[in-house]
Amino acid sequence: MRRKEQVNAVIAKILSALERLGIDHYLIEETEKESLECFFVRKKLDLKRKSVTDELEVTVYRDFEKDGKKMRGSSAAQIYPGMEEEEVLAALQGACQAASLVCNPYYELPSGKKEAPVPSRSPLAEIGLEESMKRMTEALFAEDTEEEVFLNSAEIFLRHSHRHLVNSAGVDVAYEVYDVWGEYVVQCVAPQDVETYHQFNYRDLNTDGLRREVKEALALTRDRAAARKAPKTGEYTLLLSGQQMRTLFDFYLSRSNTSMVYQKYSNYEAGMKVQGEDIRGDALTLELKAVDPYSAEGIPMKDRLLIDEGTLQLLQGGGARFAYYLGVEPTGGYRKIKVREGKLPFEEMKKEPYLHVVSFSDFQMDDFTGHFGGEIRLAYLYDGQTVTPVTGGSLNGNIMELQADMVFSSEKYEDANYEGPYAVRFKGVKVAGEA
Amino acid sequence: MKVQESDFIRRETPLLKELLEKLLAAYPYASILAVDSKARRYSVSKRNMAAGEDDLLTSRGFVAKVWDGKHYAEYSFNKVVPEELEEICARIGELVAASDRLLPEGLEEKEYLLPEEERRVEKKTSEEKRTGEKTVFEGSTEYEVDPEEMGDDAILKFLEGLKDKGLAMNDALLNLSAFCEYQKYTKLFLSGRKELLQNVMWFNGGISLAASRGEEIKSYFKSYSCLGGAELLPRMEEDLEESVAATVELLESRPIPPGEYTCICAPDVTGMIVHEAFGHGVEMDMFVKKRAQAQEFLGKYVASPLVTMHDGAGAVRETATYFFDDEGTLAHDTVIIDKGVLKTGISDLQSALSLGTEPTGNGRRESYRRKAYTRMTNTYFEAGDSTREEMIASVDYGFLLENAESGMEDPKNWGIQCMVNIAREIKDGKLTGKVFSPIVLTGYVPDLLKSISMMGKDVELGGGGFCGKGYKEWVKVSDGGPYIKARIRLG
Repeated sequence: MRRKEQVNAVIAKILSALERLGIDHYLIEETEKESLECFFVRKKLDLKRKSVTDELEVTVYRDFEKDGKKMRGSSAAQIYPGMEEEEVLAALQGACQAASLVCNPYYELPSGKKEAPVPSRSPLAEIGLEESMKRMTEALFAEDTEEEVFLNSAEIFLRHSHRHLVNSAGVDVAYEVYDVWGEYVVQCVAPQDVETYHQFNYRDLNTDGLRREVKEALALTRDRAAARKAPKTGEYTLLLSGQQMRTLFDFYLSRSNTSMVYQKYSNYEAGMKVQGEDIRGDALTLELKAVDPYSAEGIPMKDRLLIDEGTLQLLQGGGARFAYYLGVEPTGGYRKIKVREGKLPFEEMKKEPYLHVVSFSDFQMDDFTGHFGGEIRLAYLYDGQTVTPVTGGSLNGNIMELQADMVFSSEKYEDANYEGPYAVRFKGVKVAGEA
Repeated sequence: MKVQESDFIRRETPLLKELLEKLLAAYPYASILAVDSKARRYSVSKRNMAAGEDDLLTSRGFVAKVWDGKHYAEYSFNKVVPEELEEICARIGELVAASDRLLPEGLEEKEYLLPEEERRVEKKTSEEKRTGEKTVFEGSTEYEVDPEEMGDDAILKFLEGLKDKGLAMNDALLNLSAFCEYQKYTKLFLSGRKELLQNVMWFNGGISLAASRGEEIKSYFKSYSCLGGAELLPRMEEDLEESVAATVELLESRPIPPGEYTCICAPDVTGMIVHEAFGHGVEMDMFVKKRAQAQEFLGKYVASPLVTMHDGAGAVRETATYFFDDEGTLAHDTVIIDKGVLKTGISDLQSALSLGTEPTGNGRRESYRRKAYTRMTNTYFEAGDSTREEMIASVDYGFLLENAESGMEDPKNWGIQCMVNIAREIKDGKLTGKVFSPIVLTGYVPDLLKSISMMGKDVELGGGGFCGKGYKEWVKVSDGGPYIKARIRLG
């Protein structure tokens, strides 16, 4: 990584150029990244990569009047290492001209002060990228011991980032992040040749978590190989679980986002009962979890309660601009959520006939229409007597029609962006399958 | 007019050649890809406006790839100054030697050969490698209207006018967002045998419309694309009325009764099937991993004899057109399916080395920061001889599918997952006016392709979107074809 004096020299060069151009309002975002990447085909390392970059983006803001109203336009420019002073000036001048054409109502930038840099407390920071790669690789392949079901291919990325944000309203904050993420494909060759796709994402050296996830993925793929038929077309009691849960709750994050509300794509407002007046299933309680110390604009991040027992507590995300327009506190953007689990054990949910979809080719939630679904890669169908693995067909549900009746399991599930009930139950969901 | 070379690349070329020489002194093979990409995006809607650089597409940096006689390694960086050349070489050296430190017991590194065209210089000295026979190429795409010359002000005013015109057409519209973007890039590829330079520009536009039915928002998206510049903008006005009408029609739409139907696919839906359902399955890095069912079908019928399918950066002039890929392989026009028979896949260089096949110019990176994978470029079905009217008239009961939204690949099992916004009901050879939405297409790819019974006369390609490998590695692509008639499971 770059030395501190070099970082400060680049930012000083930008500040000097901003002053020469008479730009009073700005945000400078500097991100240094060092990553180590390994790509595997079966158990062979196919390619190793390293990436060392230093990226700077400067957003400039211009105030002007239009039709008697105060406006503030913005535009961003990339500043590259090694740019001459005149090149920096030209890039910022271009952004300044564009900003003066962008007619958005006036808003205020988040204010702050110089804060001490926040170091990473991740164990990854202690042992470095190479040793971390070795341990994560070991965890990834630890359960890959059988001949019929195995890891077909995998990618592991380890990244160490430094982020520094400076704005014209006093914000001067910096923090360090370690990330490990990747993907792997599991193949099972008998009784039929199939595969499933999986992703992982951690902020620490979660070797136990990765090993457990791979073990589950191997078992799931074995079941996928045993599944031959699609479910019959019809309506089902649907159970969703695991990684689909976060995607499902995207609906509430999107609908409560200030940019969606300001642009009238969403009618959410604080105090609104998002599941309606008559909640027949579980009332939703959803908390926003701060993962990074600051937002992309330098707003200090903290945990916040978004929905309490089905009632919306605040509007969130969307940046300081939309929060200002709506007269609400800017919160910054959130990736991780925590949902309160229900009271019904998962085994109780499975006492009546159900379709439990555990893998989609691409599970999607449409925040505009509320429709969710996708093609079924693997589901367990219980007809009241036997459980059969099925594959193929698609489901199409609408959260707006189903949310008053959704029931959460009492068991918990957690990944990098979600903490909450392991499963949810919906009744009367349409499935297109075999005739 | 031709797109001009970036000043930055021209200025840095001597230093990059010096770095290449140092690497060639240390390794039997080395290459450097330098990229200077500038992209701007503009958008105007009822309550929001933006203009500025697109941070996904704007970048400036380098990737060095070396082969130590057995293995490949890559190093991405975005700063090159004379005094740091040795440090860059040292970092690459550390990476090359890192395998033992990275790999736990039981795992090993895969061995590769050199690309055929680089082998002739393998045993020469670094000076011989530098000065020996080389493939030298320089090419630029063309444009009519330079968006930089047109300027931010004129572009924003055009979009503002489009937005106002569209919103005035129907009071039911909640919002209309008009946007456009362009990318202008220079890429330089240097190796012992190659010195390639290309300057390319593409331009995209789009209109996103929304109308509400209670809490539910119905949306419609129409995109426009060309290899070129701002000469695309007037095209965005041509079917504005049609797009507004389609959005309002969606307010009356209902989910479709699930089932298998006879469908006529509009060219954008054909393109999505070509790209998502079949194209990903012939990316030959999937052959290396034995992840693609297509590998077992080479030389066999996978589609109706009416189907001939192409992919290639050199096949047509669209947003994924270029002269050479990110590994220095010249662009191709690959015939993948010829009259229903699967002929070949498409390939990046490293996959071709692994399979003992020829690379097809499909090695593409999201940016200099990322690995190259086998990626599609411009992918399409050739035309047939039917008109759209003849095709609709031939349907007793079925649907006209329009407005492709998204899709997901499944090369192993050849399962289809495509999302379409509009299904128009056809009864007794006529459109009834009933509209269904949203629509999920599923099924088995060869079943769908073999069921194609009519092909339209005119091919249309659209390059408004980006393609991911799984959930990442976004690159610009175009896809399309003619109207097609097929049996498809809808839900």
